[in-house]
Amino acid sequence: MTEVLSPSSAAPNPSRAERPCHLPTKRAAVADVHAPAVALPLRFILTGIAALLAGASWLTARPIILAGYHYGPEVVAATHLFVLGWICSVIMGAMYQLVPVALETRLHSERLARWHFALHVIGFVGMVAMFLAWDMKQVGHFGSVLATGVGLFVYNLARTLARIPRWNVVAAGIASSLGWLSFTILAGLYLTAAKCWSFSPFEPLAQMHAHAHLGGLGFFVMMIVSVSFKLVPMFTLSEVQNHHRAGWSLGLLNAGLAGLFVTILFSSPWKIVFAFVVATGLAVYGWEIFAILRARKRRNRDWGMRYFLTALALLAPVSGLGIVLAWPQLPATELTTQLESAYGFLALIGVVTFAILGMLYKVIPFLVWYASYSKAIGRNKVPALADLYSPALQAVGYWLFVVGLTLTSVATALGHASCVRAGCGVLLASVTVFLANICKVLSHLVRPRLEPLVFKPKPAAQGTA
Amino acid sequence: MNEAVVNVDARGLEPPQPMVVILETLSELPERAELRAHTDRRPLHLYPLLEQRGFSGETEEQHDGSFITIIRRA
Repeated sequence: MTEVLSPSSAAPNPSRAERPCHLPTKRAAVADVHAPAVALPLRFILTGIAALLAGASWLTARPIILAGYHYGPEVVAATHLFVLGWICSVIMGAMYQLVPVALETRLHSERLARWHFALHVIGFVGMVAMFLAWDMKQVGHFGSVLATGVGLFVYNLARTLARIPRWNVVAAGIASSLGWLSFTILAGLYLTAAKCWSFSPFEPLAQMHAHAHLGGLGFFVMMIVSVSFKLVPMFTLSEVQNHHRAGWSLGLLNAGLAGLFVTILFSSPWKIVFAFVVATGLAVYGWEIFAILRARKRRNRDWGMRYFLTALALLAPVSGLGIVLAWPQLPATELTTQLESAYGFLALIGVVTFAILGMLYKVIPFLVWYASYSKAIGRNKVPALADLYSPALQAVGYWLFVVGLTLTSVATALGHASCVRAGCGVLLASVTVFLANICKVLSHLVRPRLEPLVFKPKPAAQGTA
Repeated sequence: MNEAVVNVDARGLEPPQPMVVILETLSELPERAELRAHTDRRPLHLYPLLEQRGFSGETEEQHDGSFITIIRRA
C-alpha cells in the first residue's frame, strides 16, 4: 500500500517530480470543503427514528388507518407524522451532512440549521396533534412554523449550492427537489387556508392528492434519485456510467411531475400521460443504476445497500399501481380507494422508508465512527466501520421489513384490518431491530472502544529512504 | 527541502478506509518527508484531521477523475 518513490538525492524537488504529468483540473482550499459537526445531522436523524417508531406503533394499534378510507383526521395526522416527523427529519438531517460532502463545498450556516431543527420539531409535532383534533386553524399556525423552518433549510442549501465548484446531475437533482419541497409546503398552507375559509375552486380530494405527489415524488423520490447518483457509486466503488442518461431521468421526472400535479388538480384524464412520463423517468433511472452496479468494483453487497436497492426495485410496482390509478374513467369503488391507500403506503414505506433505512445504515455508523475514532487513527487501534453494527440484526430487520411490507400492502388493498395489524406489527418489529442496531452504533459515542496500537516491524520495502 | 515522498494509493477502498490508511501512514511519516495520497474521491473528511495534527493538504483532481493530495507538515 505504501512505498517510497523518490529520495531527495534522486530529484531536487521530489514533490513536484512525482506529480502526474497532466495538468490538474481543479484545486480545493482546505477551509472551503468540509462537512458540518456530526451533532447537527444526528439530532434530525434521531428525531426521525423516534417518529418512525411512534408511527409504526400507531399503525399497529389502529390498523383502521390503512384498512379504512384514507381521508380523515387520523389518517392525515398519521401520514404527516411519517412524512414530516420521520422522512423529512431524516432527509433534511442527512442533507446537511451529505450535500457539502457530495458537492465538495461547506454548509452555508450551521446556526440556521439549528434554528431549523427547533422550528421543524415544534411545527410537525403541533401539526400532527392538530390534524388529529382536526383544528385546521391551529394546523395552519403550526404549519407556518414548520414552513419557516423549511424556508431556512431551502435558503441554507440554496446558498450552499450557489458556492459549489461545478454543477452536475446530483446538484441539479437536489436543486429540483428543494424547489418541489417549497412548492409542497406552499400547497399545504393553501390547503389549510382553503379548509378554514372555503375559497378553493378545486375538488378537496384532488388537491390533497396533488399536494401528496408534490411531496412524495418531488421531494422524497427526487432527493433519493439525486443523491443515489453519488452514494451508490461511492459504496459500490463504481461511477455514473452515462451522465446524459442520468440527466434525462431527472428531466423526465421533473416534467412528468409538473404535468401530473396540474392534471391531478384539475381531475383531468390527461394525468395518465404524465404518469407514463414519470414511469419512463424512473425506468431510465433504473437503467442507469443497473449500469452503475454492473460496473462496480466491490462485488459483495452489504445489507445497507440491499435495503436501498430493494427500495429502488419497489419503484416498479409503485409506478405500475400509479398508472392503474391514473387510468381515465377509473370507477371510484371501495377497491380503487383502498388501492390508493396501498399505493401511498407502498411509496412512503416501501420505497422511501426502506431506502432511508438502507442509507442510515451507511450514514449513522460513519458519523459515529468519525466522531469517536477519527482523531485516534494512527495513535490507537480503532474498530472498523463494520464493527459498529450487527450484520445479523441487519438481516433480521431486512426480512421482517419485506414480510411486514408485503402483508400490510395486500391487507390495505383488501381493507382487511386484522391483517393490516399483523403486517404493521411485523414492520414495528423490524423498526425495533433497526433501533437496537442503531443503539449498538451509538454506544460507541458514549464508550469508544480504543485499544493501544501494536507496532509491527515493517518490511524493508516500506522503509523511508 | 523534503527528503522523500511517501506514496499511498488508497483507490479502490470504501470510505472511510482511505482516511484510515492515509492517517496511519502519516503517523509514521519521517520528519522531513511529505505524503502523496491517491484517492478515488476528494478526501473532505481528512482536511480537519490534518489541521489538528499540524499538517496541511492540497488536493488536485486528475483527468481520470481520481484525486492526489499532497500532505506536508504545516
